Amino acid sequence: MQGYIIRRIIGAVFVVFLVGTFSFFAIRVLPGDFATASLGLDAGSASAENIAQRKADLGLDLPIGEQYANWLWDTVRLDLGTSFLTQNSVWYEIGRSLPYSIELGVLIMIVGFTVAIPVGLISAIFQDKALDYSLRGLAILALAAPVFWTAAIASLVVLQWDLFLIDVIGQPHLWEDPGRAITWYLIPMFAGGFAGTATTMRLLRSQMLEVLRQDYVRTARSKGLTESAVIIRHALRNALLPVLTVMGVTIATIIGSQVILENMFNIPGIGNKVLTSLFARDNPVFQSVVLIIAVFTVLTNLVVDIMYGIIDPRIRLS
Amino acid sequence: MSQIADPTVVPLRDPTILERLRNATVSLGRFLRGKPLGGSGLIVVVIFILVALLAPVIQRHDPDQIFEGPNPDYKANPTVIELARNPDIGSPVVVEQFIEPSGGHWFGTDKFGRDIWSQVIHGARLSLIVGLGASVIAVVGGLIIGMISAYYAGIVDLLIQRLVDMLQAIPFLVLVLVFTQITERSVLNVVLWLGVAGLAITTRLIRSAVLGVRESEFVLAARVVGASDLRIMIRHVLPNCVAVLIIAFSIGIGAYILAEASISFLGAGPQGIPSWGQMVQAGRGSLDLHPWQTVFAGGAIMLIVLGFNLLGDALRDVLDPRLRGA
Repeated sequence: MQGYIIRRIIGAVFVVFLVGTFSFFAIRVLPGDFATASLGLDAGSASAENIAQRKADLGLDLPIGEQYANWLWDTVRLDLGTSFLTQNSVWYEIGRSLPYSIELGVLIMIVGFTVAIPVGLISAIFQDKALDYSLRGLAILALAAPVFWTAAIASLVVLQWDLFLIDVIGQPHLWEDPGRAITWYLIPMFAGGFAGTATTMRLLRSQMLEVLRQDYVRTARSKGLTESAVIIRHALRNALLPVLTVMGVTIATIIGSQVILENMFNIPGIGNKVLTSLFARDNPVFQSVVLIIAVFTVLTNLVVDIMYGIIDPRIRLS
Repeated sequence: MSQIADPTVVPLRDPTILERLRNATVSLGRFLRGKPLGGSGLIVVVIFILVALLAPVIQRHDPDQIFEGPNPDYKANPTVIELARNPDIGSPVVVEQFIEPSGGHWFGTDKFGRDIWSQVIHGARLSLIVGLGASVIAVVGGLIIGMISAYYAGIVDLLIQRLVDMLQAIPFLVLVLVFTQITERSVLNVVLWLGVAGLAITTRLIRSAVLGVRESEFVLAARVVGASDLRIMIRHVLPNCVAVLIIAFSIGIGAYILAEASISFLGAGPQGIPSWGQMVQAGRGSLDLHPWQTVFAGGAIMLIVLGFNLLGDALRDVLDPRLRGA
């Protein structure tokens, strides 16, 4: 077991290293750089000398190999550098935006799973009945609808019937001003939850159907357990395992929709930082933000795999 | 031994084109009956393909044409004060912006007075090119990489698998955003990069299929008689992976269409061609009063992705029941 965990951790660290390397080179391969772009804004000052000077200040004039070595050494020491755009340290930027993203991400997951689990369960119990068909139809629709469109339609509905005011000033956190924060998060969390967990619902349904045919379920029924005990205690527990296995993918999907939703609703989270730093060629912020997202998904996968290895000894050996 | 013609033995021959066509029709009919959802998906997809192909015929108006109508407030010689109150008062015609859906404009007009129906029709072209093109690239690339990875195993496999892990640790949308910025954002480049971003998933799918086939006895037999690696891959492994290839191709299309719509929505999509994602964004500026552009363009995205997803699900069920629900 220890050998398995160590192997998995080494693999995870290697993947994170690859992602970091990828984002380091990706942002530098893109046409344009921050020095040129920022000087281009104030006309007249963008002489070749000025640009070269700015590049030297930002460390963009060094050979790419040297930049890479510097970045690697700094990142290993957890020094993420300073943002080109705001001149703040990248840790400060992340510390400010990460809570928003975690809040929204957790809300999306809560909405998603509180919908997906009962719906998947009901759909499996009433297999091939009208209820099953309509719930599955809803899941298929949720998979097909682009998250920005669902969110736009939801805000249209809110605006048409004056349900509540979406304009939120001051970017409150949930723990600071729950009432205003929740009106701010309401549409993105439902749109994201709707889109993010349709897969979960479908997977849970097919797993439930599989599990309900197993011998131990028949045993549980024949020893006289109530139907709800059979379904919750015996079937659901086993059907949920594969859902947890794809947790890494689910989280990556949710982060992907958060990029769009945070942009739409002006939530200053990590997803928004990805976009602004990418478009502004703010190298330190972009590299770090992509790295943090990768650490998140890789860590989820790692935890899931290790838990699985503990539960199911066959996996350790493969 | 003399050859005696046995009247009960029908000599084997290749089916004629007519027979093939009939066989295809029969299996299509069986598919439509057995998988009504998949069948309706197929119909949706076919309709969208026809719409895209026939866009110039059914467009009713040029998608870029700006409609103008008589100005109800027109005054021949406005005073300065009147001009300040209403800058358009001096011109006899005004742009017919934000017309509600009607007989003249089925889906209404947008902010610039262009016909939304024609624009939505033309948007189908981009979505189809992106979805089908990117999926072809992802499957062909995934086939080559996946086969190499599975067949040679060892260090090559390990390296490729970690690279696949790397691509999957980055959200698909972020990956696509980064890739598409590298080159000029033409349709072709966007299709290419979407396919590259999709390589991770197709490689993984195809690799596991090849791994399964590699262990089978006919591959061992082929190796025993001395077939080369290339021959084994092309003659023995590939034909047994066709089902997985079709599945990988069909289930990806919807995701690529959504990804293109998303980057277009964020203003980083292909340029110079009507795009549904970009139309949803354009309509958001006046969503509360004039929602039609957003509603119809987004509805089109949902419908086409729905069609491809339903079709892909049904194909997967038919071709590989083991992958059900995956």
